[in-house]
Amino acid sequence: MLENYVILPCNGLDKCAGRISGQLAIKLSENADNVIICPVFYRVSETKYNKLAAERKLLVIDGCRTQCASKLAAEKNLKISRKIIIADEAKNRNVELTDNLRIQEKEQAIIDTLFNDLNKSDDAAVTPSGDELISYDFVYETFQVGKFIFRIPKNKEVYFNENDCWAYVVGNRARVGVTDYVQQNLSDILYFNPPEIGAEIDQFGELGEIESSKALVELISPVSGRVVAVNETLVQKPEMINENPYELGWIAELELTNFESDKELLIGFDKYFTITQKRAEDANV
Amino acid sequence: MSEKVKIIPCSGIGKVFGLMAREAALETVHELCPDTSETVCLAYIVTGDEDAREKITGHNCITVDGCPKMCAAKNVSLAGGIIIEEIKVLDTVKEHKGKQFGSPSQLSADGEAVVIEIATKIAKKTNK
Repeated sequence: MLENYVILPCNGLDKCAGRISGQLAIKLSENADNVIICPVFYRVSETKYNKLAAERKLLVIDGCRTQCASKLAAEKNLKISRKIIIADEAKNRNVELTDNLRIQEKEQAIIDTLFNDLNKSDDAAVTPSGDELISYDFVYETFQVGKFIFRIPKNKEVYFNENDCWAYVVGNRARVGVTDYVQQNLSDILYFNPPEIGAEIDQFGELGEIESSKALVELISPVSGRVVAVNETLVQKPEMINENPYELGWIAELELTNFESDKELLIGFDKYFTITQKRAEDANV
Repeated sequence: MSEKVKIIPCSGIGKVFGLMAREAALETVHELCPDTSETVCLAYIVTGDEDAREKITGHNCITVDGCPKMCAAKNVSLAGGIIIEEIKVLDTVKEHKGKQFGSPSQLSADGEAVVIEIATKIAKKTNK
C-alpha cells in the first residue's frame, strides 16, 4: 500500500494527461494517508509543504513530458522517491490519449491501473532510479558537411558555450555534455576522466576530460554548480559519447548555483547552430 | 478580431472549490466563449515559462480562484497580466447555502449547476 507519501502532481489544466495526473493524486490521497502538494501554491508558499516533504517520501506524477512537477521538485531540492509520467504510462498500455478533458471510461481505467500498480509495493515497476528521475528529451536539427552529419538540440532549455559544451537546464539542475562538433572532431573517444561528485565547479571551470587518438580535451562547464551525478558508464564505454553525445553520452549533472548570471555568457540553439555550421564548412574547405 | 481574454483558474487540486474554479474556466473557454477566450495553465506561469508569460503580460485576464489564498489572481498579477475581473468561487457558493457540491474529484449535480453559473458570469465579463 502506498502510504505516508506526499504526492506532487502536475497542474494539468488543459491536457488529458494532466487531468489524469490530478485525479490519480486525489484517489491516492483519498484512499490512504497521502497528502497532495498543490504545485502552484507550493511555488508561492513553501512553508506549508517543506515540512511534509521532509517527513514523507515523495511521489511525482507528471502529465506530459514537459514534466512541470519534476521541474518543481528539482527546483525545491526535493528527493523524488517515485515518479510516473502519465503520457508514457498510457503509451506503454497502448492507450491513446485524446484532447478530451473529461475523465471517461478509458481514462478512469488508466487511473485505476496505476493506482493498483502503485499500491502493489513500495518498489513497484513504476519507480525510476537515480538519473532517470528527470528525463531529458532532445529535439534535434541537423546539417551535413561532407560525410559528417551534425546534430544540435534545439530545445529552448539547452544552452551552449563557445567550447562546444551544452547544458540542459531543468529547474535548478542541469545535465551537461559535449556537442556533436567535439565528438566528430575527436573521432573515436578512448578515455573519459569524470569530475568528482560533490565538486564545486565554476562556469568555464574544468568538468573532466575526454581523450581520443587525436587529442585530449578538457570539458569546460557551461554552468556553475555542484556535481551531483556523473555518467559512470562512460568510464567503461567512452565511445558512447561518439554514439550520441547528448543522450547516452552525457557527462555530468550539476545543481546550479548561479544560472541567471551564467546564462548571460551562454548562447541558444539559433546562434550555436549558425556558428557551428560555418566552422564545419570552413574546416571542410 | 480582438485578442482572446485569458481565463486562468487556480490549480485547485484536492479541493472541491478548486475543481469548480477549473471546471468553470474550461466551460467558458470550450463551451461559452470559444472564440473570445482561451486558458493558460497557471503552473506554466509560475514556473516562468516564457510562452505562458508572453501570453498574459499586458493582456486582459480573468482569474478564477477557489479559495481565499487567491493563487491565480496573485500570480497572474505578478507575471504582468491585466486582471479585468477576479472571480471568487466562494462568492457564488455562498449564494447556495446548504447544498453539497461534490468531492475534489467529482462534482455533484448541484456542483455542476454552480459551475455553469460561475462560467456564465465569466462569459459576461469576457464579452463585455
